[in-house]
Amino acid sequence: MPIPKLSPAPGESYDASQKPPSFGHPLKQYFALDDDYVNLNHGSYGSLPLPVLYAVNKWNYEIERNPDLFHRLTYRPLLVKAREAVAKLIGANTDEVVLVPNATHALNVVLRNFEWREGDIIIGASTTYGAVANTIRYLADRSEQPRPIMLEVEYNFPLTHAQIIDLFRSKIREAKQQYPNTQFTDVPPLSVGSELNDEQKKNKIVVVIDAITANPGALMPWQEMCKIAREEGVWTVIDAAHSIGQEPNINLDKARPDFWLSNCHKWCYAKRGCAVLYVPKRNQYMIKSSIPTPHAYVSPSSPAFKETGTNFVAQHEWTGTMDQTPFITVPDAIAFREWLGGESAIYDYCHQLALNGGKKLAEVMGTKVLDEDGALTVTMVCPHDSKGPASLSLIVLVTQPNVQLPLPVEKTRGEVYTTQQLNQINEFLRDKLLKDWKTYAAHYWHNGAWWVRCSAQVFNELSDFEYLGKALNAVCKEVEDTILKKNA
Amino acid sequence: MLGWFTRYFTGTDSIAVPPTPSRKRIAPGPGESYDVSRRPPPFGHPLKHYFALDDKYVNLNHGSYGSIPLPVIYAANQLAYEIDANPDVFNRVAYKPRLAKSREAVAKLIGADTGEVVLVPNATHALNTILRNFEWREGDLIIGATTTYGAVSNTIRYLTDRSEQPRPKMLTIVYNFPLTHAEVLELFRAKIREAKQQYADTQFTDVPPLSEGYDRDPAEKKNKIVAVIDSITSNPGVLLPWKDMCSIAREEGVWTVIDAAHSIGQEQHINLSDTKPDFWLSNCHKWLFAKRGCAVLYVPKRNQYIIKSSLPTSHQYVSPNSPKYKELGTNFVMQHEWTGTTDETPYITVPTAIAFREWLGGEQAIYDYCHKLAMDGARRLAEIMGTKLLDESGVLVATMSNVYLPLPVEKAPGEIYSPEVLANISMFMMNKLLFEYNTYAGHFFHNGAWMCRCSAQVFNDMSDFEYVGKVFNTICEEVKDTILSNMHGKQLGHLRPSSPDEEDWVIVTY
Repeated sequence: MPIPKLSPAPGESYDASQKPPSFGHPLKQYFALDDDYVNLNHGSYGSLPLPVLYAVNKWNYEIERNPDLFHRLTYRPLLVKAREAVAKLIGANTDEVVLVPNATHALNVVLRNFEWREGDIIIGASTTYGAVANTIRYLADRSEQPRPIMLEVEYNFPLTHAQIIDLFRSKIREAKQQYPNTQFTDVPPLSVGSELNDEQKKNKIVVVIDAITANPGALMPWQEMCKIAREEGVWTVIDAAHSIGQEPNINLDKARPDFWLSNCHKWCYAKRGCAVLYVPKRNQYMIKSSIPTPHAYVSPSSPAFKETGTNFVAQHEWTGTMDQTPFITVPDAIAFREWLGGESAIYDYCHQLALNGGKKLAEVMGTKVLDEDGALTVTMVCPHDSKGPASLSLIVLVTQPNVQLPLPVEKTRGEVYTTQQLNQINEFLRDKLLKDWKTYAAHYWHNGAWWVRCSAQVFNELSDFEYLGKALNAVCKEVEDTILKKNA
Repeated sequence: MLGWFTRYFTGTDSIAVPPTPSRKRIAPGPGESYDVSRRPPPFGHPLKHYFALDDKYVNLNHGSYGSIPLPVIYAANQLAYEIDANPDVFNRVAYKPRLAKSREAVAKLIGADTGEVVLVPNATHALNTILRNFEWREGDLIIGATTTYGAVSNTIRYLTDRSEQPRPKMLTIVYNFPLTHAEVLELFRAKIREAKQQYADTQFTDVPPLSEGYDRDPAEKKNKIVAVIDSITSNPGVLLPWKDMCSIAREEGVWTVIDAAHSIGQEQHINLSDTKPDFWLSNCHKWLFAKRGCAVLYVPKRNQYIIKSSLPTSHQYVSPNSPKYKELGTNFVMQHEWTGTTDETPYITVPTAIAFREWLGGEQAIYDYCHKLAMDGARRLAEIMGTKLLDESGVLVATMSNVYLPLPVEKAPGEIYSPEVLANISMFMMNKLLFEYNTYAGHFFHNGAWMCRCSAQVFNDMSDFEYVGKVFNTICEEVKDTILSNMHGKQLGHLRPSSPDEEDWVIVTY
């Protein structure tokens, strides 16, 4: 049967030569979200623009006209185009960038490629994403040697950037002191001592740093943390899952993390699952195998190895049969964002809305914004900082404000909530918000209090935050009347 | 603080949220829906109506990438709208019960318990999940074969390539077809015994649960042997006596990982509860008509303790040190419910694929048609090309058959074909088939001879084989006139091979 002649439905195409509608609700027409659904949680799963969804569906038919032709020949140049487009956005070389299904997958590729020795240390944080922390834990859980040790930096927000940096540096030093008999001489290429020959390289410390944490959604001073790690001879794996399309001015050539990864299907409007894994050329020798291992794997004992090395890019071209449409439609997502005004314009709108929306939400609920530090204003870490360039005073909100919920706060764990109640409240909030109020934002428990993390997207407006506030007020009251009433 | 809590998904679906109708729904086009109460068209070209393949494209290579029926594409595309109408509702609530339905449907087809079956993106991924979960010790052995799929043997190689201890060793059984099942079994058993003799100082006491000696003290369990066994190899595409090989391995105390990538929807009478392999995996997006990428990983309950972590590790990972471990163990099924954000449409639409197959007549009817066509088609092909089948008996044939191509056969490696020439011929054939003749069948060099591998699918009929036969005749003549008459192996074609190692590329056509 000939494939259907698809023609774009409303919202599935746009005239690139015409100006787009203004930011806010007028843009809802280009997204697949239900009209009456107030989505303030773009950050969790992304929201797919209709033009990208349409492109994907078209490809789904196109590929089936001749699967051999597509997979053997057509696919590769399209993948290269996608990688090029992404590399440009993050200040990296195309050959340092590959696409994988999601950030957790990318993180696993990096951590599982290290050859762990007894005595190695992996440093995560209390705010590390669950699956990432579990990956570290899994590696440390090997039932016999060799296996690394897992350490965690404790971050209890609110914190300033200066405080975060302090905690970070202290943890590294504490680790080295805690294990004085271990020689951490296996340092990354840009650190002092990397020129030691292999026999002299004993153990290593690898740190997983969030660029933007999940709960709460906070931008971390990751470039500064990279620098500190480099000074301390520590490998840096930047979990930047939320960054591409949200964090402005990413320049990996400048920041020089050892590894960096981000989900294109979050803030960059790509179809799920598509993530970018960045490995600078100096570190590609470490990524011996993609996950899963592919046809293009090159054994170090093979003659080809001299020429190809670990074959990083080629390995990641094909890691088993899968649906490549999320990868090859990345340029469609980026083109749509260009039409909306480009990364800067999108950031400006969303960042401002995040600030205003956070304020508004706190107002409606009678609570506060997470990064309040006497003042609600947040500033970029840049020369315009009102407290002076050296102060690194406040967390940058980016586009996800975190606001406290009108529920009791506890000073010591267990004072107000049992573990069971915490679970119940989470489920209750989720169900009520989604079903009764047709809205959502990520709610979570942190440092003794309940918070909600909102995502400000191009289709959101201030009224969305107001609506969410109303909903949360009602639901939190129900929580107090039901789940927490049992405390009385 | 309660950091763990903020990242713990509570996975119960306590609300039933009806899928909100998407305002973008499209009505199904021709071939995208069917009336279940009516009989389907007969097998053969009338069924092309339900596939998206170009009408004039003669697809005899379903086995590599699958051919997705239009009703499945349509279902997946509609589901995409539904998911993005409310990603939080879908991913947090609606998804899990639907995944369970898919797993149930697949488990039924393979005689397994739903609790032993999870879905992963593809067979290579499933294989990696298994092999990377074993804790390898110095002295362990992994046995593959020369016919093992490239990425699989590379996975084994990667594990043995660890630059320092501990790492397993890789052994390879050489299978040069044609072989009978009895010969395959002999070679298999001989390799295991040879391995044990070769490493007489190693105590292979870490045996699988159903083998003798399993109940010894863990401290006495030293090393293990793991065998990766194809149920149906790729090149050539032949059915191996894998069930008997499982029995032999069990007797020998060897762990069995069955790479059954081609099996579900092609191989008859799969009953894993009967056969009891240690691990088994298959691509639903090959012969089961599912959307790419969807594969099934089967791990019987007795072995789930070995699969400590999904790949990638998930929120549901349970550390052996955690108090939950007593109750949940390795949490095999839950770990695989969510291994990172991805597109779930391939998993969720598996029941759509199975329902379509039911409508066509069910697994047996499909098998009967395709098996007969594979055999009859191969005979016709051999007639047209003046060659012969790899397997006249049909014992090695499920629904893929292999026929020798009319090209010279060499008795010793390199006698006629250098690696470069082999690569050139392969590429030449690929380009000619796709661009000049609008057809495709697998083609590869094995044991000194060129063969083609044809997949017989419900939309194929005899005329397709006749066409491909004529096409191969022409192409092989050209090969003889050009590449083979110019033995310097001039580079032909303008497309590069998919891997830098040409030898691998030639041998591995998917």
